[in-house]
Amino acid sequence: MARRYEPPRQSGIGQFIDSIFIVALVYAAMFLPLIFGLTGGGTVTNVPETVTWESLGQNPTMAAQWEKLGYTPESAAEIISTRFDYTIDPVWFIITALVIGGYFVFVVRYSDKEYREVISERFE
Amino acid sequence: MDAWQLAGYAAWAISALLLGWMVLDAIRVNREYSEDLLLSSREGYDELLEHERTGDRR
Amino acid sequence: MTDHAIAAGQPQRINLLKVLGPAHVWALGVGIVLVGEFMGWNFSVGKGGALGSLIACWVIGLLYTCVAMIDSEVTSTVAAAGGQYAQAKHIIGPLMAFNVGLYLVMAYTMLEAADALVVGDLLAAVAGTETFNTQPWVVLTIAVLAFLNYRGVFMTLTVNFIITAAAFISLVVLFVGTQPWNPGAVLQHRELLTDLPYGWIGVIAAFHFGIWYYLGIEGTCQAAEEVRSPGRSLPLGTMSGMITLLIAASITWYAASGLLPWEYLGQAFTPMYDSAVVTGSDFLKVFLAIGTVLSAVASANGCINDAARAWFSMGRDRYVPLWFGAVHPRYRTPFRSILILIPIAISFAFTGLLDQVITFSILSGLLGYTFMPINMILFRRKWPLNSIRRGYVHPFHPIPALVLLALCIATYFAVFLGYGNQLLAMMAFYIGASLWFAFHRYKYVRRGDQFTMSWPKPQGY
Repeated sequence: MARRYEPPRQSGIGQFIDSIFIVALVYAAMFLPLIFGLTGGGTVTNVPETVTWESLGQNPTMAAQWEKLGYTPESAAEIISTRFDYTIDPVWFIITALVIGGYFVFVVRYSDKEYREVISERFE
Repeated sequence: MDAWQLAGYAAWAISALLLGWMVLDAIRVNREYSEDLLLSSREGYDELLEHERTGDRR
Repeated sequence: MTDHAIAAGQPQRINLLKVLGPAHVWALGVGIVLVGEFMGWNFSVGKGGALGSLIACWVIGLLYTCVAMIDSEVTSTVAAAGGQYAQAKHIIGPLMAFNVGLYLVMAYTMLEAADALVVGDLLAAVAGTETFNTQPWVVLTIAVLAFLNYRGVFMTLTVNFIITAAAFISLVVLFVGTQPWNPGAVLQHRELLTDLPYGWIGVIAAFHFGIWYYLGIEGTCQAAEEVRSPGRSLPLGTMSGMITLLIAASITWYAASGLLPWEYLGQAFTPMYDSAVVTGSDFLKVFLAIGTVLSAVASANGCINDAARAWFSMGRDRYVPLWFGAVHPRYRTPFRSILILIPIAISFAFTGLLDQVITFSILSGLLGYTFMPINMILFRRKWPLNSIRRGYVHPFHPIPALVLLALCIATYFAVFLGYGNQLLAMMAFYIGASLWFAFHRYKYVRRGDQFTMSWPKPQGY
């Protein structure tokens, strides 16, 4: 590159729109999963039929600590019986892996292209 | 209960005061100083290098 | 050497003030993180059981030790306010730098919002009334800290040093209060610890929230432009911060897991306060409540500092509008960036979506850690040792970089377990932002001016 790149001047309005755009994008990323009901960990809850500390698998020491926190077997049952669901959906797993991997490959490659321009202008 | 409500109003008032002061100060600075001066900082390498060369650390 | 034309004809140039020492660096790093010891780390117990969380604490501790080593070397050489952003700009290229800058701004602003929410929630718990309105307290927290940040970095981080130290001491007091030398008296590990509830996959899943034991220690790099001697202070502050956190994480785990059943611990919002409640000591209860608030305030304070520095640096390079790259002529702070991030943080906090906000913060952090090994390997390749003067050289390269990369991949998998949808939503955000930058925003950037270090030409270019 023999010539220095001279960027266009950005108007105040343009600067303002660019700032708004990024903020809007952040909100979209935060709220979209919420709107589509995709938030939270995938969990399952299996409360045993008779709820006592024993049936919830709590030994006397554990039960004592729960009681110090103000819980009864009934109020603690749901907390104790909720478990994450770690079954892996292979299709989503592969999609996710490809998205993350692809993202990094694209960013690093494209950055390198831009970087060569920076270096040639800086060290010309 | 009332005390907490009162404290809540006080919190709003103090927040408004601080935020208002910052906005006014920012506007004042924008008026009093040229934009070129405000935007004149550069990534701090120059000063650092000076210190490294002369061995002066402060 | 390209000297910048803008300075010509100007009476002087204003820069950020170089006033900070190693203690400030420590306060910035540990201050941001320590809130994670008071809440949040325990969700890893929910994902993998108490022992799973301990393993995650150590493995992720190793991840962060690699982060601290790599950061110390690169930042002590690239001493600029943007921290990892400036590193990416000099070593990988503009698009990566833009992404890294966004990771930093997002991770810190979201964490700041979460911290303010915590202060509000804890006050609500203390007040105990149902009609308690947390909003004024959330706003007050952010307003006071932003004011402090606006008025100068020295005072900001001196205050942070004091409150961070106080919060750390409250953890130590809790640990001593549980009489660890006398197992069975207060601590009931023998009875409370169970086998791994999910087996080993749960241990991996626990890596996800294991990050909370340390998230934000890399924020020390953001102070690079304001530290008196970065080559010495940054490695010293970062490494001592890391040691502090490893100690804090271990005693936190030990005390909490010996007091609370894992099912409770795994979903608690204020685990350290609850631990104090279970000991039955009113003194510990009050002490830990204060410790929790202080840690949240210290964290929010450091986050404002770091997010503003990152946004400011991106403004200076026109990655975001140039207007943000201004320095206050009197206080020497990036005042416009501090101001603009206030309404953003408050609006995130007002959504009340603590878990969404936190997950976004963690994932932005994780993307940043994935960038680091790539950065480190390219740094040593483009500028081999002795080709430029480094403030600090970390040992065993490339092992820390490869270990870090492997651990990052494992952590993505951990997030995928249970939180796969959020992971994809966030990737969509960063991909969208990247395309916007590459095909729209980058045209406003001066090419050669982005490279500000006085280094020789990188090898291979």
